[in-house]
Amino acid sequence: MAIARDTESFSSSLDAEQLGLDRADLLGMYRDMLITRGIEERGHILYKQGKIPGSFYTGRGNEAASVGVASAMHPEDAGTPLHRDMGVHVTRGVEPWRILAQYMGREDGPARGRDGNVHLALIEQNLVAMVSHLPAMMPVAVGLALAFRIRDERRVSVCWYGDGAAARGDAHEAMNFAGVRRLPVVFVCDNNQYAYSTPPQFEYACANLADRAAAYGFEGVRVDGTDILAVYNEAKRAIEKARAGGGPTLVECVTLRMEGHAVHDNAFYVPKELLEEWAKRDPIARFRLWLSEQAQADEAELSGLEEEVKTLLVEAQKLAESSPLPDPSELEQGVYAEPEPPRDGADA
Amino acid sequence: MATQTQIEVVMPQMGVSVSEGTIVKWLKSEGQQVAADEPLLEISTDKVDTEVPSPADGVLGSIVTLEGETVAVGTTIALITTVGEALAEPEPEPVSTAIGSGAPDPPEPVAAQLAEPADRTFVSPVVARIAAEHSVDLERVSGSGHGGRVTKKDVLAHIAAATTPEPETVTSKPLPAPVTSSAPSNGDRLEPMSQMRRSIAEHMRRSLDTAAHATTVFEVDMSNVVAIRARLKPEFLERHGVRLTYLAFVARATVEALRNWPWLNAEIRGDEIVTHSYINLCIAVAVDGGKGLVVPAIRNAEGLNLLGMARAIQDVGDRARSKRLKPEDVEGGTFTITNPGGHGSVVGTPIINQPQVAILDTEALVKRPVVISDDKGVDAISVRPIMNLCLSFDHRLIDGAYAVQFMAEVRRSLESWGEERY
Amino acid sequence: MVPMPEKTYLQAISDGLRQEMHRDERVFVLGEDVGVYGGAFKVTAGLLEEFGPWRVIDTPLSEIAIVGGATGSALMGLRPIAELQFSDFVSCAWDQLVTVAAKQHYRAGTSVPMVVRLPSGGGFSGGPFHSQSPESAFTHVPGLKVVCPATPHDAKGLLASAIEDPNPVLYFEHKHLYRRIKGEVPDERYTIPFGKARIERAGDDITLVTWGAMVYTAAGAADELQSEGVSVEIIDLRTLQPWDKQAVLESVVKTSKLLILHEDTRTSGFGAEIAAQVVEDAFEQLDAPIRRIAAPDTPIPFSPVLEKAYIPQVEDVAGALRELAGY
Repeated sequence: MAIARDTESFSSSLDAEQLGLDRADLLGMYRDMLITRGIEERGHILYKQGKIPGSFYTGRGNEAASVGVASAMHPEDAGTPLHRDMGVHVTRGVEPWRILAQYMGREDGPARGRDGNVHLALIEQNLVAMVSHLPAMMPVAVGLALAFRIRDERRVSVCWYGDGAAARGDAHEAMNFAGVRRLPVVFVCDNNQYAYSTPPQFEYACANLADRAAAYGFEGVRVDGTDILAVYNEAKRAIEKARAGGGPTLVECVTLRMEGHAVHDNAFYVPKELLEEWAKRDPIARFRLWLSEQAQADEAELSGLEEEVKTLLVEAQKLAESSPLPDPSELEQGVYAEPEPPRDGADA
Repeated sequence: MATQTQIEVVMPQMGVSVSEGTIVKWLKSEGQQVAADEPLLEISTDKVDTEVPSPADGVLGSIVTLEGETVAVGTTIALITTVGEALAEPEPEPVSTAIGSGAPDPPEPVAAQLAEPADRTFVSPVVARIAAEHSVDLERVSGSGHGGRVTKKDVLAHIAAATTPEPETVTSKPLPAPVTSSAPSNGDRLEPMSQMRRSIAEHMRRSLDTAAHATTVFEVDMSNVVAIRARLKPEFLERHGVRLTYLAFVARATVEALRNWPWLNAEIRGDEIVTHSYINLCIAVAVDGGKGLVVPAIRNAEGLNLLGMARAIQDVGDRARSKRLKPEDVEGGTFTITNPGGHGSVVGTPIINQPQVAILDTEALVKRPVVISDDKGVDAISVRPIMNLCLSFDHRLIDGAYAVQFMAEVRRSLESWGEERY
Repeated sequence: MVPMPEKTYLQAISDGLRQEMHRDERVFVLGEDVGVYGGAFKVTAGLLEEFGPWRVIDTPLSEIAIVGGATGSALMGLRPIAELQFSDFVSCAWDQLVTVAAKQHYRAGTSVPMVVRLPSGGGFSGGPFHSQSPESAFTHVPGLKVVCPATPHDAKGLLASAIEDPNPVLYFEHKHLYRRIKGEVPDERYTIPFGKARIERAGDDITLVTWGAMVYTAAGAADELQSEGVSVEIIDLRTLQPWDKQAVLESVVKTSKLLILHEDTRTSGFGAEIAAQVVEDAFEQLDAPIRRIAAPDTPIPFSPVLEKAYIPQVEDVAGALRELAGY
């Protein structure tokens, strides 16, 4: 029995103006989705060519959820995106060539070779670099919100996690603390239905992950994660609610993970029918259709945008490949931050 | 097939805490033939002066350490060349050192090897470095560490001392004369202390600083003992070659009384009292015409009867005076008897032999008039041979009441010595 | 001349906290029972009344939320001081400390200026879960700093430095010292740099390196040895990451004999690291094997007779010093 509210799809109805999005915004969101997928497709190829070491993860199928939420954030808002949320970095303005450089372990990747794949973040964009212990980011996201609350700032923290991460205690402890203190944090659950090979019935016992919000004293919402405007709508609502002091919301974006857990995983355990069903709801194709139908975007405009993105990414790859590899002699540098100059303050 | 082997003569360890010895006199010279066990040299240590027997038959090849020199235990002091079948291998060296000509040890578990304490031959990193920097031959440095190991302090002290010139000639005195600021001009005689003297001086001072000395004196009527001794003395001498002394009687009475007053046979260690289950009775022996003192112990004296005690006392006395004591002879004593009374003294305040807690002193046997009561309570004067026994005890452990009750028992035991008692 | 006030170890920490919170509005405290209750040990008593509920935050029972909350707020420019009720509970927050906080700067260049206060140590039958001294484990995590004050004076100065430091600092305050140790503590603010040891007493014969409550055990043993003619130099490291290797090496050059003492368990305790580094860098200065005295490799027992056998005592240290002296 579901507890959380199920949201309506936006694709089929509603004027985008109601959401405060003009045409440029909409096309911008589409572009961000294209770049997100384009980077991951390009990276996929580079990985198979041996140019990207380690493992390679994509968020294929999650473009709408990630771009949709990120588009609803203000620049001063902060977040802890995970590995299916490339769209967040793209939307916030991280340049594609630097993301590719990151994958390739180059000096110009935001982690400068000290971490790989999507473990990148620019604090100037108020994004915090994720760790592999995914749910460990959740209490940290709550900590971001705690700072905003302490300083009475009208800023919001957005916390991403998945159906797998939801099983760990960090999720509970983070949400409990946020609920108790009504902190300005939005929990975005990327429920792509598979945590590696674990399907939902073996990951959680409640009907929806959004149902758990009630246990923490706040609202839970379940959204079709392939519908970018539905996502944007709910995300904006939740973010502004938090900004206004309304406390946390749990927004569960339901999608299907369209590729393996990582590129090395062929996801044989995902039923073919499920993949076929969700392929029909591809977020990019879906929004493209909506744009052409609802935003007066004709074929020329859309293909032009797509070509532009392709070119952008070709250039990005060239630039990334020109980035130097990190210097091993600098390996031991940067473990500790250096002290800032002493702060003037009245002594007790 | 005849082989020639070099056997090392080393400075022996005369007691666990002894770390060095001084060559007093070589009894053989280089090139002389020596027999195994024949006395080769005389040495002096903190504990005891003794002769060192030759470890092998052969020719005294080279004398490494000269008379008057003090070296650490284990130092090679001479070499003997043997001819004939190779003798038993010298003791295997510990694996941790590369020195040594003996056969290698059978493989031992590594932990056991490493758990062996360092000995003379182990050179620590800092000692190796300092020795190398100053071109010091570590063989010539005495070691104060475990097993005679040369420590950092030792090698540094050696270097410091080496800057002062050593005496050119070897004298017959045990030690070189100390440097004085001005020569005496008023007829005073200057002589260095012998090792034994220094050792006694240190011990006596330390004993007074350690124990809370108190002394009690008892007068003992030795009439019975005198009579019994007169009877047994010829028998002991002719049949056993043993001289029966009053000391033997006192020693017997003491040992028996200690069974009932065991704390007088104990030791203080920190906050703990260690009461021994055995009595190793020390007898103080004057040597060197009264200028020296040795205190050998008679082990398990509680098991000796009068004959056994007399024989043991004679034995240690003789060996002490002729410098034939072994290291274990001067170790492990639990109670001491000293007997200066032969020269006429009647009261003494002996100093406790550390780490013991008591010492008994037998004074002169003097004929005195004493008051005797008969069984009707009538007093009369009688002449009796009286010997004063003086017990110094460590008041940290032994209180007066304990001490005097012990002494009362010793007196009773001596005054009632029966004919049948042996 | 006004005599310097004497404060207990606990008061020094408490006053230091208060002073820093006045001085810098970015500083705040969070943890269980720190607000209304004033802290399980009363270290934060009075702070809630003085600074209000958003600078002294009573959290739910969740070390993960406490430490994660500190990490996040530090990333956003605040200076959180997280209090875990017992150092034993730091294991609950291991992931937050080791995975997130410790590695942020190396990977992303972002500073995490947070302090985690950890009441640690045993000696009062607290049992296995209220007595641990787990500091050694964290010296093994690059990115964290580890601080172990022994005196009231050092407690206040090191706390100020910890708050100033732009890295995650684990501050192990020994709870058995809280009220038992008093010392002179200046009223004004002062800092003590990390990686600078304090020579508790100079000596020539043996170097004894230690920290925390063991400093007092070391002092007792050194007093005994002094009366036996052996002079021991005691080095109170004050901080383990970073640690004052230079002071230890200088001392070893002088004495050539080293004893390391810590309350944490023996195997892979920080003493092992000190010993390894001294052997690496000062092998030719050594006149004896390096000795370690530490708690045995067991959980901390409860019964007083067992706990006394577990925690290094003065006689244990004195015995080891004597052996070293005679080597």
